[in-house]
Amino acid sequence: MAESEEEVDVLVQRVVKDINNAFKRNPNIDEIGLIPCPEARYNRSPIVLVENKLGVESWCVKFLLPYVHNKLLLYRQRKQWLDREALVDITCTLLLLNPDFTTAWNVRKELLQCGALSPQKDLYLGKLALTKFPKSPETWIHRRWVLKQVLRECFPPEPDRKEQVGGDRCNAVERLRLGEHLHRVLHDEIKVCANAAGRYPSNYNAWSHRIWVVQHMAQDNLKVLHDELSSMRQWVSMHVSDHSGFHYRQFLLKCLVGALSLSPSSSPQTDARGLSLDCQRRLPQQVNGEATAAGSCPRSPEEQPLVPAVLFLFQQEMELCTDLIQSFPGHEALWCHRRHVFYLWHHWRRDHDHHNGKGCQSPQLNHTDAGLICHPRVASPGAVRLDRADSRNGPACESQDAMEVDGVPDPRDIKRLKRCLPGPPVLPSEHGFVASILDGCRSPEQGRFALAYRKWLDSVIGQ
Amino acid sequence: MGTQVKDVVIKPDAPSDLLLDKHADYIAAYGSKKDDYEYTLSEYLRVSGIYWGLTVMDLMGQLTRMNQQEISDFIKSCQHDCGGISASIGHDPHLLYTLSAIQILCLYDNVHILDVDKVVEYVKGLQQEDGSFAGDKWGEIDTRFSFCAVATLALLGKLDAINMNKAVEFVLSCMNFDGGFGCRPGSESHAGQIYCCTGFLSLTGQLHQINADLLGWWLCERQLPSGGLNGRPEKLPDVCYSWWVLASLKIIGRIHWIDKAKLRSFILACQDEETGGFADRPGDMVDPFHTLFGVAGLSLLGDEQIKDVNPVLCMPEDVLDRIGLHPDLLS
Repeated sequence: MAESEEEVDVLVQRVVKDINNAFKRNPNIDEIGLIPCPEARYNRSPIVLVENKLGVESWCVKFLLPYVHNKLLLYRQRKQWLDREALVDITCTLLLLNPDFTTAWNVRKELLQCGALSPQKDLYLGKLALTKFPKSPETWIHRRWVLKQVLRECFPPEPDRKEQVGGDRCNAVERLRLGEHLHRVLHDEIKVCANAAGRYPSNYNAWSHRIWVVQHMAQDNLKVLHDELSSMRQWVSMHVSDHSGFHYRQFLLKCLVGALSLSPSSSPQTDARGLSLDCQRRLPQQVNGEATAAGSCPRSPEEQPLVPAVLFLFQQEMELCTDLIQSFPGHEALWCHRRHVFYLWHHWRRDHDHHNGKGCQSPQLNHTDAGLICHPRVASPGAVRLDRADSRNGPACESQDAMEVDGVPDPRDIKRLKRCLPGPPVLPSEHGFVASILDGCRSPEQGRFALAYRKWLDSVIGQ
Repeated sequence: MGTQVKDVVIKPDAPSDLLLDKHADYIAAYGSKKDDYEYTLSEYLRVSGIYWGLTVMDLMGQLTRMNQQEISDFIKSCQHDCGGISASIGHDPHLLYTLSAIQILCLYDNVHILDVDKVVEYVKGLQQEDGSFAGDKWGEIDTRFSFCAVATLALLGKLDAINMNKAVEFVLSCMNFDGGFGCRPGSESHAGQIYCCTGFLSLTGQLHQINADLLGWWLCERQLPSGGLNGRPEKLPDVCYSWWVLASLKIIGRIHWIDKAKLRSFILACQDEETGGFADRPGDMVDPFHTLFGVAGLSLLGDEQIKDVNPVLCMPEDVLDRIGLHPDLLS
């Protein structure tokens, strides 16, 4: 085994070369890992490539990391010159071993700016680093920077850009190409987020990145929002403890409700389905010929706010939540989700009543005692009587109320909603839900969460 | 059907006394193994690492055991032409390490060894049009950086250098329905981000903008049966989250809402009786980061063997008295 400084030098240079050759040999490497191996075996390279997996035998890392680390810092202090190719190779090795080394990512940003590196190559390195370090904050931060460069490439901030749009055919073809390109980048990015979320539960960095991606690349794109919501349905059902996954669903729901509730007069740049006509920084839906394929949302060419679609979303979400709470008792993330969805629904409904000139409070919403918020441990859970919920309206009446307050939706949708939906919940039905959970509840955690939810309803919503 | 609660069980033989001498020895020895592989691995956050070590030593009354001259020279050599400070020599400057550096020099009462005007210019230059702060010249936005910016400026007595109204507006735009805060508008509430945002609002005199009852509720729901606190629902308890939740509760005047005795037992159980230092959870490997937040948490819980810690800046109160900085707390 190499021990002297010179031997270490030779060894490490060979390993860095091996790593970069592996990438040249197989451009489809999709995962990296450390192979536990305290000592060098045989006289072979510590870099192992099996199918699409790249492994590094652990014995070499203690030589490899300090070497590439120091080399980069000497370069940064202008004490040693490295050409662009060497910089690409060294930062690659360094970041696969230590992806939170901010300065190494910064060196790659500079390489990207001078054209020595493509955004795709850099996004690929980050994707690999995340297979081993799915939380790495600096890797996610770097991705956002690269994505901003991609967006800038697609939509350069020229002052007269709008005049060019809709100009000659060349422009249209170019826009089509850019739109498709951006669509692919978005799709890949969502996949990277999903992969990292699967590798580490409640991965804050992965999920907040996914939110950023939607906000910057598809905020008003109903097709993307709907696709995301429907793909997340299965994901959260299989990860019932993942608070971050549920938060992402809440985010999507909020975006969709916002886009669906937009009144045509308030946003001249946006049509009724919230499709962004100004494509700057967003994915232009029209490019893909999907302008009308807004998932499950009903079409409404006459610019009616899509109230039934909003009701449908909330109703579906609460139903999913009820189903999961009943199937998987004692999961705090599910109860938190219920709070947020009910809160969103409650406020959307209140705002809608207000817009329609029907006052701020609908009758169902203010008949609860206005409880003061107090600390959940101090007040006794028994303070709220179980029977209170039972005496309230059943779901059938609530459905009617919910329809009434929301203006005049498309008659076909009303019909559909009346046929198959009991309507989104109101406060009494939520109390009924809590009572039904508590009735014969055998999980102490489930009971605790149900009581906390009831208290939350009384103090936060009922105020 | 049984539910697995994500928590730890504290063993009966877990440490229950505070082992201050061991912790001081652990920190004093930590910096001496500079050729260590682990040391290389953590160089990208070295200045913050020094802040953790020095602050916990000061809280334990042992600051004199650290080499003031060597550390001050090192910090000075980490300042760049732009005014910002990097994690170590040859690394790039960043707000995170700029704050840590200023905190270190405040402990030593020698901020003047840096070009302070340039530090202020650096921080000011990172504020964006919407009031947010980028962490460095590459433009990443996060409420953590809003905290770093105002904490740095407050320690330097230069809060008037930035557009305060805009800065406050941005942080408030990250507030969620549960009363908590995330890293950017629309992001999930997270105890670390909540600490940064409540600290930010304290330093800028805007704590009245917080719904303290609602946020307090969310924060004390972080306490688990073991007594430890987690940072988000269904996560494991952790000594560092115990600090961030506890400090936030202190800032918004709701620290009495949690079970202090149980939290104290949890933190004490995270000590390593042999090596000294605190780990994230009982039985795990110790590190200086969790050692600071363990000791600081015990200080907030009223341990009299430790100096009083300020919940906003995580620095000894006597240091802030010297500077004359007293961030607001709700009662």
